[in-house]
Amino acid sequence: MAETKKVIVKVKRQAGPNDPARREEFSLSWRPSMNVIICLRDIAENPVTRDGKKTTPITYDSNCLEEICGSCAMLINGKARMACSALVDQLEQPIRLEPLTKFPLVRDLSVDRQFMFESLKRVKAWIPIDGTYHLGEGPRVSPEVQAKGYPLSHCITCGNCLEVCPQVNEHNQFMGAAIISQVRLFNMHPTGAMNKRERLEAVMGPGGIQECANAQNCVKACPKGIPLTESIAEVNRDAWKQALLGWFLG
Amino acid sequence: MRKPKIIVVGGGLAGLMATIKAAEAGISVDLFSIVPVKRSHSVCAQGGINAAKNQKGEGDTTDKHFDDTIYGGDFLANQPLVKRMCEAAPGIIDLLDRMGVMFNRTPEGLLDYRRFGGTLYHRTAFAGATTGQQLLYALDEQVRRHEAEGRVKKCEGWTFLSAVMDGAHVCRGICAMDLRTMEVKTFPADAAIFATGGIGAIFGRSTNSVVCTGSAQAALFQQGVDYANGEFIQVHPTAIPGEDKLRLMSESARGEGGRVWVPRKPKENRPPRNIPKSDRFYFLEEWYPKYGNLVPRDIATRAIHRIVYQEKLGLDGQAAVYLDVTEIPRETLNRKLEGILEIYEKFLGVDPREEPMKVFPGMHYTMGGIWVNGEDQATNVPGIYAAGECEYQYHGANRLGANSLVSCIFGGGLAGTAAVKHVNNLEKGAEATAQAVYESERKRQEEKNQKLIRRDGSENPITIWRELGDLMTEHVTVTRLNKNLQAADAKIHSMLERYSRINLSDRTKWSNQTLNFARELENMLILARVITLGALARNESRGAHYKPEFPDRDDTNWLKTTRAKWVNCDIQLTYEPVDISLIKPRARRYDAAK
Amino acid sequence: MSDTASQPDASYLLRKLHSFTGVLPVGAFLAEHFWSNSAALVDPRKYDEVSRDLQTIPFRLVVEWAFIFLPILFHGLYGIYIWLRGKSNVSAYPWVGNWQYVAQRYTGLIAFAYIGWHLYTERWLTHGKSTYATVAQDMANPWYLAFFVVGILASSFHLGVGIWNFLCKWGLATTAKAQEAAGRLGVVIGVAFSFVGILIVLSFRLNWHPFAFYYINK
Repeated sequence: MAETKKVIVKVKRQAGPNDPARREEFSLSWRPSMNVIICLRDIAENPVTRDGKKTTPITYDSNCLEEICGSCAMLINGKARMACSALVDQLEQPIRLEPLTKFPLVRDLSVDRQFMFESLKRVKAWIPIDGTYHLGEGPRVSPEVQAKGYPLSHCITCGNCLEVCPQVNEHNQFMGAAIISQVRLFNMHPTGAMNKRERLEAVMGPGGIQECANAQNCVKACPKGIPLTESIAEVNRDAWKQALLGWFLG
Repeated sequence: MRKPKIIVVGGGLAGLMATIKAAEAGISVDLFSIVPVKRSHSVCAQGGINAAKNQKGEGDTTDKHFDDTIYGGDFLANQPLVKRMCEAAPGIIDLLDRMGVMFNRTPEGLLDYRRFGGTLYHRTAFAGATTGQQLLYALDEQVRRHEAEGRVKKCEGWTFLSAVMDGAHVCRGICAMDLRTMEVKTFPADAAIFATGGIGAIFGRSTNSVVCTGSAQAALFQQGVDYANGEFIQVHPTAIPGEDKLRLMSESARGEGGRVWVPRKPKENRPPRNIPKSDRFYFLEEWYPKYGNLVPRDIATRAIHRIVYQEKLGLDGQAAVYLDVTEIPRETLNRKLEGILEIYEKFLGVDPREEPMKVFPGMHYTMGGIWVNGEDQATNVPGIYAAGECEYQYHGANRLGANSLVSCIFGGGLAGTAAVKHVNNLEKGAEATAQAVYESERKRQEEKNQKLIRRDGSENPITIWRELGDLMTEHVTVTRLNKNLQAADAKIHSMLERYSRINLSDRTKWSNQTLNFARELENMLILARVITLGALARNESRGAHYKPEFPDRDDTNWLKTTRAKWVNCDIQLTYEPVDISLIKPRARRYDAAK
Repeated sequence: MSDTASQPDASYLLRKLHSFTGVLPVGAFLAEHFWSNSAALVDPRKYDEVSRDLQTIPFRLVVEWAFIFLPILFHGLYGIYIWLRGKSNVSAYPWVGNWQYVAQRYTGLIAFAYIGWHLYTERWLTHGKSTYATVAQDMANPWYLAFFVVGILASSFHLGVGIWNFLCKWGLATTAKAQEAAGRLGVVIGVAFSFVGILIVLSFRLNWHPFAFYYINK
């Protein structure tokens, strides 16, 4: 009788933010096109560890399962990435699963990324329209600007770029590459550009763009391939120009 | 003075649009969502959004959009509101454009349009192949602005449990659960708008997101909110099969020139690139010369099923056909379809620019949903509104591609405006409702939780759910046979019985996803029955609902809306006529001009 | 305009100043310093002449403090502050940029210590009157020599990466391609400085003057 192939998964468990962490190992039956989400579901269906101990299903965030909602970011074999696109066949075993470390832990693999949404508020990441009533068409946008802006608008706020950034940690509230890239996006848009000054002021505030130290990990970790370092450089240029020229020329 | 409040449940396109409309009118809004709203399922929509702007000089009009929608929906939709939606669509595009959506552009800087299924016109505005994501973000940003300015309060990480109804069966708020602390709490409001999306989870694997369980709809249904046309389930012809979900491969792939085919020889072992054109069977193009690969989804899905199950021409004998975009220039692919091609590449490790994709139909959308009136998205319970995929109004028996985004935004806006009017006209608001009303609802829900946690059976909720999904996919999707539907209903009954012997395997009181899932599962089972019974009763074939025993549309007996009601803790099907006052029903054929 | 918008933070201005001082004047001074010291490659007498010329520039003390000592002090101390606010993760993400991030901190610290010691021994103790002979004597000590080599390499590396950082962080190299080019420029600068620096050390140590034939007796 052929033995079914096994998948060994090692999960960092923590019942709550103030509870002690522990690790549990699971042995699962391999299936084709298996990803980390399927592993977590299989564990939920039969929450028994490798050594036969009963445990609880693992808490984790997930939604779309096609890498566009940004929910399921976690550390897989020590690297920040999306669980849905982490295919078991491409991972070294035992597969180690841990929560992101730069965000407050909720439970097990689930973390709270509210910080990023708050930052989006701070930098006014929106187009200030007058209202939703009929005001005619939007401004014309050249295909060239669209081609630049479109990739930036792919940001799924997963937090991987913050997770891998050495400048984001418990004593540095750096807003991170994702947010700065959004500033570039909105400053690029013809209507959004009207509030460029405010956004630049915000990125020069506490935890702003100055905290970037150019390690360039963000662009490597971004699951959406967003040119984050380009965004940072461009916003950096606009920012110092505004700070300096604004001081000289008002 | 009374300060009215509106609650919006669901932060996808419809919910966000409703929120914006209410906030803009100066009403304070509490927005509830299971996930941060930016992670809602609307992000998964790919191809585009329809509006007859006639920007390609083809003579497209909103009337033609209206006719395509009604015809595509096999005349089951009430017509007046659909007409209003099609007329509003160009304005919606303008609005989104003003919000900064990075739509694809023409060299002149205007919006570009592509073709989609069920129409002969370039009517679909798009932002690459991630239009839903771009649209959702635009609305999310506007809501964030309202939030920053204090008009909107977000309650993310809360799940809806039930509506709070007063003695007169008027909605006075909702009861919800914090998914972290597991606290059950009531929230008074003068109106509640539900925009809780799809029901894919009932079918196990679908193109839907994890949160699309239909749980909220089912909970409302059990509180007396009617549910209409549940049996109309759209199966998308081209999805990538997967163990955890079926990943959508947008219709836009065909809109941009992608072709569906299988080798003519059943046991073909040449790689697809080496098969000459003459040995390829472009069955959609042969069977439907006028629309070709862009026939509506129900037609394409059935054609693929026929190829696989009757003609036995599935790839390697498996349930799959080729979706081939390799003939499209690389530059076009990267500019217009990159998002979806990346999904294929990432999850299958094959570059679809080089190799035809292997796809198969997958459950995608529910045309049916919460019953709403044909006017302003109001349900049969005063104070409760519904918009988006969770309601039934716009798509009849089959939805056309790229019409969902427009119906979400139109319906959401309408619901927001209607709810504002409702709360402003109320003589007495939630503040006049006795505290006891809230407290008793809270207790009822809390007790339900306690019962679930204490239950010490042997059934695992995930196991029941996986079985439910297989059952529904097998018997209640593309081809429906009455004896199978009957058996399916009996099986769901037994699952409900097993559900009473459930074991949660997690009894903790912090971020307990198992508890929440178990609650959702019960609701899924109820809604699965609504769908199955609706399908069983409807002895005809119409749009996505296909019964080989009754292969034709039967307007004499079945040109009517199914309206399911919850009576004495059971499902009762009633029917009401369809408003066909604007376009007279005619035979629906895509193999010839309509 | 809006009450919620914040003004440029003090940390923003200080960070920009830190980045700027690294290139101007600190980087520029390093270039000048290597330039004048490479006089040793010609002839000890040439070295002593250059050294004497530098000792006689007008406002020397002001120039030294305003353009050399204080900028280096600020750049070094604020650099340490920046270091403390970061948390390296190069073991988890061993990417080139990340290695540079870490190396930039260690080389900065080494360079800072080295420059402090160098100033103390060659400027303070000698009252700015170092000659070829005194330096050559120092170099005879193998510990001095080793520290010189390490200090030069660290400073050169730090400058090379610093130039790259500067071009990126001021948005002068924006696109991925431009940033790659800026990186190559940084490598060239780092290697060139290391090379010249080591030559100068060898010159003192071995009394070696490859450009001796340039020298014109006055």
